[in-house]
Amino acid sequence: MSSVDATRVMPPQEVAPQRKKATLEQQQRRWGWIFLSPWIIGFVVFTAAPIIASLIFTFTDFNLGQSEINFVGLKNWERLLNDPLALTALGVTLKFALIAVPVGILVPLGMAALLNSKALAGKPLWRTLFYLPYMVPAVSAIFVWQSFLNGQTGWLNRILRGLGIADPPNWFQDETWILQAFILIGVWGVGNAMLTMLATMQGVPTELYEAADVDGASGFTKFLRITLPLISPVIFYNLVLSVIGLMQYFEIPYIATRGTGHPGTSAYFFNMHLYKEAFTFFDMGYGATLAWLIFIIALLLTVILFVTSRRWVYYTSGD
Amino acid sequence: MQKKFVLVAALAILALVLVVAPAAAQDKVTVTWFVGLGTGSNAEQIEVQNKVVEEFNASQNEIELVISIASANEAADDLFTTLVAGGTPPDIVGPIGVGGSNRYADLWADLQPLVDSTGYDLSVFDPALVDLYRNAEGQLLGIPFAVFPSITYYNPGLFDEAGLNYPPQEFGAPYVMPDGTEVPWNYETAAEIAKILTVDANGNDATMEGFDPASIQQFGLNFQWARLRLMWTNIQPEDWYDEASNTVTIPESWRTATQWIHDAVWTSHFMPNATYDASEAFGSGNAYSSGKLAMAITPLWYTCCLGNSVGNFEWDLAVVPQSLDGEYHVATDADTFRMLKDGANPEAAFTVLQYLLNEAVPSLAPTYGAFPARPSAQQAWIDSKNAQFDWGINWQVAVDSLAYNNPGNMHHESNMANYGKATDAVFAFQTMLFSDAGQSIDVGAALDELQAEVQAIVEES
Amino acid sequence: MATATYSKAVNTSPFYSLQLRRFAVVSLVTLLALTITVFYLMPFGNMTLLAIKSRDQIAAGVDGSILPLEPQLFNYEGEDYPVYTVPFEDGTVRELALVRKGRQTSQFVDPANPAAGLVEWAGNWRGLTAVSTIQPHFENFSEAWDIINFPRLFGNTLGIALIGMAGTLLSSICVAYAFARFPIPGKNILFLILIGTIILPRQVTLIPTYAFFATIGWTGSWLPLVVPHFFANAYNVFLLRQFFMTLPRELDEAAMIDGATPFEVLYRVIIPQSWPAIISVSLFHFIFAWNDFFGPLIYLLGKPELQPISVGVQTFNFQYGQRPELVQATSLMAMVLPLVIFFLAQRVFMRGVVITGVEK
Repeated sequence: MSSVDATRVMPPQEVAPQRKKATLEQQQRRWGWIFLSPWIIGFVVFTAAPIIASLIFTFTDFNLGQSEINFVGLKNWERLLNDPLALTALGVTLKFALIAVPVGILVPLGMAALLNSKALAGKPLWRTLFYLPYMVPAVSAIFVWQSFLNGQTGWLNRILRGLGIADPPNWFQDETWILQAFILIGVWGVGNAMLTMLATMQGVPTELYEAADVDGASGFTKFLRITLPLISPVIFYNLVLSVIGLMQYFEIPYIATRGTGHPGTSAYFFNMHLYKEAFTFFDMGYGATLAWLIFIIALLLTVILFVTSRRWVYYTSGD
Repeated sequence: MQKKFVLVAALAILALVLVVAPAAAQDKVTVTWFVGLGTGSNAEQIEVQNKVVEEFNASQNEIELVISIASANEAADDLFTTLVAGGTPPDIVGPIGVGGSNRYADLWADLQPLVDSTGYDLSVFDPALVDLYRNAEGQLLGIPFAVFPSITYYNPGLFDEAGLNYPPQEFGAPYVMPDGTEVPWNYETAAEIAKILTVDANGNDATMEGFDPASIQQFGLNFQWARLRLMWTNIQPEDWYDEASNTVTIPESWRTATQWIHDAVWTSHFMPNATYDASEAFGSGNAYSSGKLAMAITPLWYTCCLGNSVGNFEWDLAVVPQSLDGEYHVATDADTFRMLKDGANPEAAFTVLQYLLNEAVPSLAPTYGAFPARPSAQQAWIDSKNAQFDWGINWQVAVDSLAYNNPGNMHHESNMANYGKATDAVFAFQTMLFSDAGQSIDVGAALDELQAEVQAIVEES
Repeated sequence: MATATYSKAVNTSPFYSLQLRRFAVVSLVTLLALTITVFYLMPFGNMTLLAIKSRDQIAAGVDGSILPLEPQLFNYEGEDYPVYTVPFEDGTVRELALVRKGRQTSQFVDPANPAAGLVEWAGNWRGLTAVSTIQPHFENFSEAWDIINFPRLFGNTLGIALIGMAGTLLSSICVAYAFARFPIPGKNILFLILIGTIILPRQVTLIPTYAFFATIGWTGSWLPLVVPHFFANAYNVFLLRQFFMTLPRELDEAAMIDGATPFEVLYRVIIPQSWPAIISVSLFHFIFAWNDFFGPLIYLLGKPELQPISVGVQTFNFQYGQRPELVQATSLMAMVLPLVIFFLAQRVFMRGVVITGVEK
């Protein structure tokens, strides 16, 4: 107790001269750590332990049905190599991501460009309307889409029949159309991406456009040469998040197919497999192993994106 | 700006402190009751359950009963799993059916020692019903609470319109065809009249030449909200799993049953396929309550969900059709409350359990649509249902149906190795059967595949 | 008068053709926005129309109208019967109420002359057209409102959302600033770890996380739902970092030369330039908190008095799954507040951009 008091009494001046000697670099670093500290504390307290726990699970036979947990070495990982369904599910996830990632970038980009256009009247209205679907809670959204895409009574097929397509697809029951149906639903969730792109577009200095005008550049050239490079950091952000999100794609196919991934395995996404093993069959050990596999894959993709981003993402601050 | 920043921070911290609710001191033993793995999360049910808890807590000073209702049913299993795996399991779970219990087979406490020490009287129940709750080791994992025999719900208005007689309300009674001939009330007869009760937009029924299966306005028959094993078992009960050899065999009668269902959906069209079933026009999965399904075969708990029927049509009950063997077999759901083993206070939990199984039955049974397993409580249940549906429903059908339930190993949710996964595989098959992909399958080959799949699943364990 | 002014302006302006061109471009672009909106929001229209139908209207038929059409009813001897347009062989068409349905013949009553008794008509009634009027059922909203305790749920949601929002803003801005501007050793690895925390599927961290909060006694309160947000999260940090990195360094360097501490640089230079991103983050958190379901469900189990709107809506979806009209009405009502907040936030959003422009 008394020793603590003693340090408190110690005049700060004695420390000060040493600090002055610190180089600007060291000072900057110290500030960096100070600003970083909330995340580091939070990571240590809230996030790290569950992540490490889940990694430990992968080496155990943790199962809700049994009272004890045993270490089983690499058995779960061996099982993973011999699980054809896991491979199929991974294939479905990657195949879907291959279509969904470009759509998830281009659609919001187009919408943001439209909302950013000087020639658009009534912007606040359109902004709100374009963002509106994002506010619909996911489960309500699925409810609406199931109704909208019902092969018999859904609006979409009524419209298609009205347009002369006699036999429109039965979206959720057709192997070739179910992923497209999920893409349609996904387009409804691009509000955030659109908004981040729009926010960044509006920060592009008008001088740049004016200069281009003087050079007689067309609207499209300006978008390609000025807007795109300047918003590339945000496109990159959305790209990374969309890849991560798609590796975890779960809720919509799970509810829409009532957990079956039907028809066949065409909508059996990797995280549905994970979820079923962990929560339906209570095999937490194997579930965690599946989770770590998709984690490693998504992390690799993220690293690849980060490495390649140096070539195409342009940061004004020069980093 | 700096001030604002500090102010926001201060406000946020203050708000945090306010959120930390001071934990109240507890001197009673706390028993938690988890609801959501079966019925029990509808608005009216929640109200009744809360009242039961209140009354229990007021009735004594030793135990504080706390109820946790997983209000959104789809998430209830995840929630329960998390509670158990996360180290905060509830003491009592229920109502939960046989199948739901099988999923969590290793979690339940053996009640036999508590029954013995408290002298709880099991003799009032049908012994077959009690045995449904015994496992292979002879442990008693539950005490009967509610029984739900399968029943044919029918819509009299649709029969009138078609000029057909109603299905029989007595076991052994024949069905009278419009021309006056009497035929046995079996699945063949049911299919025949169901076709007449299936009508397209032009008014053609499913027996007619120009019937358009793409514009069906009314269906004849459905197993409402039923899993395939319940359908199979109603059509013919069988024991499909041999524990000694750990083998699964899809019996011939279930192959016939599956073919019957496939024809019903895809050839005769009197049973709604997945697309029709999901559409709003047919009640978003609840076709019978939309008033456009003539007959629904489903357990008695379905009375839960007829309070909001379109047009409030005056439905009634008939007996289930005879099975393939010409006898009556009624697939009967059985729900109860279960205690978790490893609970901190088994005696207190058992006290609560007894309260739920005895004193609370008059309040809980009607709200769950649960026909009391305790014979002395059955009339009160019927009275309360008559108050809700006041046009005179023939409840005697339900009472009579109790005599035809299937023994444990023939039960439609009888346990087997790797129950959860096997059930999941059957459900995937059912989904396929009712959706477009099922239309062109070879039923026999598909069942061979299913059998191989389930066999692999039971061997896995 | 307005017309006069208009025509004068059009006729005499030297920029007439320019104005006309500008007008054409604006109309074209706006029309494009309108077209996209119509398609984009069609499921939303589906949702809205469902919300104003009665249960009977929804069940009205496979090829039933998407509009809330109410059949005209006629009360005959104490029962309501629907009115149909019935053609007769002599060429007359009468509007009659269908009393007794049959496959070959049906019996009708004339609402204009019920005393005349039942009229027999040969044919299948399903081929007849029902007489109906458009009749929206706005009372679905009040019915849903009465069932759900909206004020309490809104209050709880606002509490959870705003506290978490304050937390995530404070922490994420600082952390993003650290990543965007300071030479921290191993920064790239740290950033990858940060992103890594959102890559691991939540299903497997759920149980350990729950066990942790249960052990420290936080379950049954808002703490697990708000406190972690005070320690930044990857989504927000990543977005803010990306935005901060589009800001030129010259301004912070100038401020630094003037003797500003990094804190001062952050709130005098960085934050004023970053309003669009900050508002975006606030908005995203708000909507996340508004719709987050499983977290509140599990941490507030058994505490209905603390539960937010997401749990309320979801519960309602399940309990009233057979009443799609009420489910949709509820979803729509739950969206109103976020919608208003978005509408207001976007004004700030615009103002933020103006400030940035001035400072440049």
